[in-house]
Amino acid sequence: MTDNEFHIVVLIKPVPDMEKVRFDVEKGVVDRSSAPLEINPFDLNALEAAVQIKEKLGGEVTAVSMAPPAAESVLRDAIARGADRAVLLTDRRFAGADTLATSYALASAIRKLGRFNLIICGEKTVDGDTGQVGPEVAEMLGIPHIAYVTEIREVTKEKLLVVSELGAPYLMELKLPGLITVTKDVNKPRLPTLKDKLKARKAKVEVWSADDLADVADVSRFGFSGSPTQVVKVLVPPMKKRRSQIFKGEDAVDKLIEALEMEGLLR
Amino acid sequence: MREDIVEALKNIVGDDWVVNNPEAVKSYLEDETEPGVKVEPAPATDVVVVKPVNAQEVSEILKLANREGVPVYVRGGGTGLACGCVPSKPGVVISMERMKEIEIDKENLMAVVGAGVTLGELLKAAAKEGFFFPPHPGDEGAQIGGLIACNAVGARAVRTGPMRNYVLGLEVVLPTGEILRLGGRLVKDNTGAGKLMHLFIGTEGILGVITKAVLRLSPQYKATATMVVPFNDRRACLNTVPEILQSGIIPLGIEYVQKKEVELTAKRLGLEWPSKEGEYYLLIMLAEFNEDTLYAQLEEIASICRKNGSLEPLLAETPEEQTNILKIRSEIYPTLKPYMEDSPDITVPPANIGKLIEELEKLERKYDIYIPLFGHAADGNLHPVIPVKEGWTKEQYEKLRMEMYQIAVKLGGVTTGEHGVGEARKKYLKLNLSNEAIETLRKIKKVLETTPSH
Amino acid sequence: MVFAEQHNGKIHPVTFELLSKGRELADRKEVELSSVILGHQIREEAKELIYYGADKVFIFDHPTLKEFDSILYKQNIVSLIREEKPEIVLIGATHLGRSLAPRIAAALNTGLTADCIDLQLDEDGELIQVRPAFTGNILAYIKTKTKPVMTTVRYKVFKARERDPMRKGEIIEKEVKVVEDTGTKILGKIPREAVNISDAGVVVAGGRGLRRPDDLKMLEELASLLGGVVGVSRPLVDEGWASKDRQVGFSGNIVKPKLYVAVGISGSPQHLAGMKDSEIVVAINVDPSAPIFNVADYGVVGDLYEVIPKPIEKIKLRKMKL
Ligand SMILES: Cc1cc2nc3c(=O)[nH]c(=O)nc-3n(C[C@H](O)[C@H](O)[C@H](O)COP(=O)(O)OP(=O)(O)OC[C@H]3O[C@@H](n4cnc5c(N)ncnc54)[C@H](O)[C@@H]3O)c2cc1C
Ligand SMILES: Cc1cc2nc3c(=O)[nH]c(=O)nc-3n(C[C@H](O)[C@H](O)[C@H](O)COP(=O)(O)OP(=O)(O)OC[C@H]3O[C@@H](n4cnc5c(N)ncnc54)[C@H](O)[C@@H]3O)c2cc1C
Ligand SMILES: Cc1cc2nc3c(=O)[nH]c(=O)nc-3n(C[C@H](O)[C@H](O)[C@H](O)COP(=O)(O)OP(=O)(O)OC[C@H]3O[C@@H](n4cnc5c(N)ncnc54)[C@H](O)[C@@H]3O)c2cc1C
Repeated sequence: MTDNEFHIVVLIKPVPDMEKVRFDVEKGVVDRSSAPLEINPFDLNALEAAVQIKEKLGGEVTAVSMAPPAAESVLRDAIARGADRAVLLTDRRFAGADTLATSYALASAIRKLGRFNLIICGEKTVDGDTGQVGPEVAEMLGIPHIAYVTEIREVTKEKLLVVSELGAPYLMELKLPGLITVTKDVNKPRLPTLKDKLKARKAKVEVWSADDLADVADVSRFGFSGSPTQVVKVLVPPMKKRRSQIFKGEDAVDKLIEALEMEGLLR
Repeated sequence: MREDIVEALKNIVGDDWVVNNPEAVKSYLEDETEPGVKVEPAPATDVVVVKPVNAQEVSEILKLANREGVPVYVRGGGTGLACGCVPSKPGVVISMERMKEIEIDKENLMAVVGAGVTLGELLKAAAKEGFFFPPHPGDEGAQIGGLIACNAVGARAVRTGPMRNYVLGLEVVLPTGEILRLGGRLVKDNTGAGKLMHLFIGTEGILGVITKAVLRLSPQYKATATMVVPFNDRRACLNTVPEILQSGIIPLGIEYVQKKEVELTAKRLGLEWPSKEGEYYLLIMLAEFNEDTLYAQLEEIASICRKNGSLEPLLAETPEEQTNILKIRSEIYPTLKPYMEDSPDITVPPANIGKLIEELEKLERKYDIYIPLFGHAADGNLHPVIPVKEGWTKEQYEKLRMEMYQIAVKLGGVTTGEHGVGEARKKYLKLNLSNEAIETLRKIKKVLETTPSH
Repeated sequence: MVFAEQHNGKIHPVTFELLSKGRELADRKEVELSSVILGHQIREEAKELIYYGADKVFIFDHPTLKEFDSILYKQNIVSLIREEKPEIVLIGATHLGRSLAPRIAAALNTGLTADCIDLQLDEDGELIQVRPAFTGNILAYIKTKTKPVMTTVRYKVFKARERDPMRKGEIIEKEVKVVEDTGTKILGKIPREAVNISDAGVVVAGGRGLRRPDDLKMLEELASLLGGVVGVSRPLVDEGWASKDRQVGFSGNIVKPKLYVAVGISGSPQHLAGMKDSEIVVAINVDPSAPIFNVADYGVVGDLYEVIPKPIEKIKLRKMKL
């Protein structure tokens, strides 16, 4: 990559396939081993956005994940879908991270990668589901961000013109370098070709440990020790039962209205 | 409907489960049959709907109907394409929707299900326990009873075949009210019961009402993929199919679709058809126990496709991507429905599919129409669409339909491979069956009943 | 401290809900409840924060703050938090709040819990934050080790207190730090396209029980009184009574509103596929055996033409009284 080439970093979180993952109501645990890892669905849109911009401006797309070693296959999938390079941060010392520690590790890795013009994240993940990592990474890197991007209207090497959902849709401009988080509306991710899939199966994923980031980061801020929030308990609420109150006869409607008022639904 | 019959039905199932308010009855008068061949239902005021919850109630309803000489129509999910569940005469509709019991027998890899369980419900319950159920006839609102009665096939049946191959046991109520229990949690049963059971599979409910079934399940596959293979040449595309099968790889499914129809369908569903290239596509569904085996097969299939002139295949691996492709495939029919008169379900020996295409193309030129086409390529089963054409009379449509049917028969095929005969297509039965064969079916039916149910 | 979100000088209602919960927490911990508002010419509106429960209101009033700018907002709030050292900071989990809060948390190097639906205090007076995760499949209880404890809270989970215009409190004007170019700029608001029933909070859906296309107007009236939109079953789209973007179901839209009212809809599996995850389902159908009742929380067995006008009247009457 030369100096004036456009460089996009896409942050990709490997998440369990939500259709397969099982939840234990009694023990209150999520059995992550029950489901294989896949690219967080929103990050597919992030990657597609990056590839589309690359197709316009040239340059390179790097995918970065912080995840267990098994996530290498997920990054290979990212390569099949158009990433030129993939970096996996994996180390015991990254484990147990909340969003602050996750963002710190990711921001450090991006620093280590060197020059970048644009970072693209998903709006949120289907597991942790906080939507915090994008803006936190931007803050740590000291760059502006626009969240909830639903449309990318124009791209140049200097700035982006996007539509962002902030309660209402706004047309906004972002100076680069900057970061965006994208929603599902931003594009429809393409399918990889078989050829790209086969090639990616043999592609190399760069694996970085905490020590590999020691020159750009304070390793004590990674993982559990760098995480101020802690999950103290998890409840798996049993499947909600419907109330099944079916009213018949003369005063049925009055009873319905009464019930809806009790629910606070007629306000 | 006669008041005394309504009352008698209420005595059997309870007041709430008999529907005779005409406005409510209206929901039970139609199915998904093509506009041009639909059978006119009896007026809602002449039909009563009854919802039994077990075989015993079904038995009593059938005895009553028999006694009173009232025709009975069994309604499953109402997704049928032959008006089989449509009450064409004043009568009783038995809706199976309350027969919802479902047990997954993990040790035996089986499911014991009530006839009213929908395919969607079965797929979900099976997946929860780590199992899979391959047959997928389009719409997941179809019920197990309907699937068995129609011996449904669908998009994932190349490897393991139609519904019949999954039925191990049946509970059936005969028109005279006797309850039969045939087969069971057995992979093999060569007694008379096991053989008799097959009489009720695929006979569209004319010999009895299915109330419960034991079904074989398959374990969930670790690695699955749907490959979309684009072609510019239609015949090359279809001629590839037998070659794939001859190579020794038997995929779960091989479907054939065309650009025009899939793009229209995707748009209607708010989705996007994944391929920008090609005009004709094979959708190849694979399921294996590990990724390496899967990829070895993908490579082999792709090389056969390329040899036949395909463009670069695309690969869907995430559940969402695969589901969306299957969804677009399944929704082609409802999408085209407003523009179609009919969509014959013709089926020829798989190797004759190339010839079938040639003949259909001749028809396009002869009638100066575009015939949308899609179907289960590996089964030799295609659904050419007879489009609505301005100014055409019923006779013109009928002529074209007959030509399509005759082509199928000439090529060694039949007029229906999976959608069945029902009320809508009775008159075409003689194209396939000799008088002797039809007479034999009649005799069997007569033995089992005293009053005709249809 | 509660962040007061405003758009065009109007305070977002989630703010009042947070003030109500904040008041409760502050009273139990015996501390002050403050609020911060940023914008332009918002001094009048700021008083509302006191009426709804704040003891102290910090105002940042400047033309550059008129519209949301994540960096400008962050900088001013961060310096205020550094001065005031609140124990807890509550921010609405709106799009704006969820874009802003993480920047503040990262700048302060503190923990942030997302999209909470409940806040409790444990025996030690520490905040327990309850939030759904794994796409709503689990509830996580979260504690934060650092100060301030920062939380974004979902809209419409807490109830706002009654407005009390007699309530007294302090309004403190803060000096605004201005940055010339933060790198983001709002160029304008975009009119929203067509109805989006997937995101609606209330869906009133009509089916083949309706006799004429015109009768959808009745459902529209009910929907708009409830702050929702009208959906339909597939046959109404096939008949051309409604556009495809209103169809609920397997081949239409998936909806998950707080309230789903199925009017003259039988409840086919294909329809249920589009609405079964709605929070509260109400069904109105003449047929007591209609499958829609199996998934209903409340139902009326009756003629929709007799049923629907009643709640319409009732709500109208109440709105008139207010
Ligand atoms: C039940 C539960 C509740 C939690 N609640 C909180 C909480 O309230 N506050 C908190 O701080 N932490 C919380 N966590 C921890 C948090 O989920 C993890 O820190 C996680 O690594 C990142 O957060 P997220 O999944 O919410 O990502 P989000 O912030 O939702 O992700 C947004 C985008 O950031 C990028 N991204 C996120 N994670 C990664 C990654 N590991 N690698 C590459 N890119 C990534 C992706 O582009 C993604 O689309 C919780 C965890 C669990 C299991
Ligand atoms: C979009 C779409 C795609 C389709 N694709 C395919 C496909 O690919 N392959 C395929 O094979 N079919 C397909 N079909 C047809 C249909 O789904 C099947 O025929 C299905 O088997 C019908 O099941 P059902 O429960 O809806 O039956 P219904 O339509 O309710 O009834 C069909 C027939 O079965 C009888 N019946 C129903 N339940 C019972 C019972 N319990 N006991 C006895 N008789 C009963 C009825 O009397 C009637 O004659 C498709 C339909 C649609 C709408
Ligand atoms: C492949 C496929 C995909 C499909 N996708 C969808 C989809 O996405 N969405 C969808 O909705 N459907 C879909 N369907 C259609 C579905 O099968 C049903 O036909 C449809 O949902 C029925 O709509 P309905 O409930 O409005 O009508 P009906 O089933 O006819 O029900 C009308 C109801 O109104 C009641 N009623 C009548 N008059 C009154 C009155 N005066 N007061 C109160 N109640 C009254 C009746 O009792 C009845 O229960 C699909 C079907 C197929 C085969």
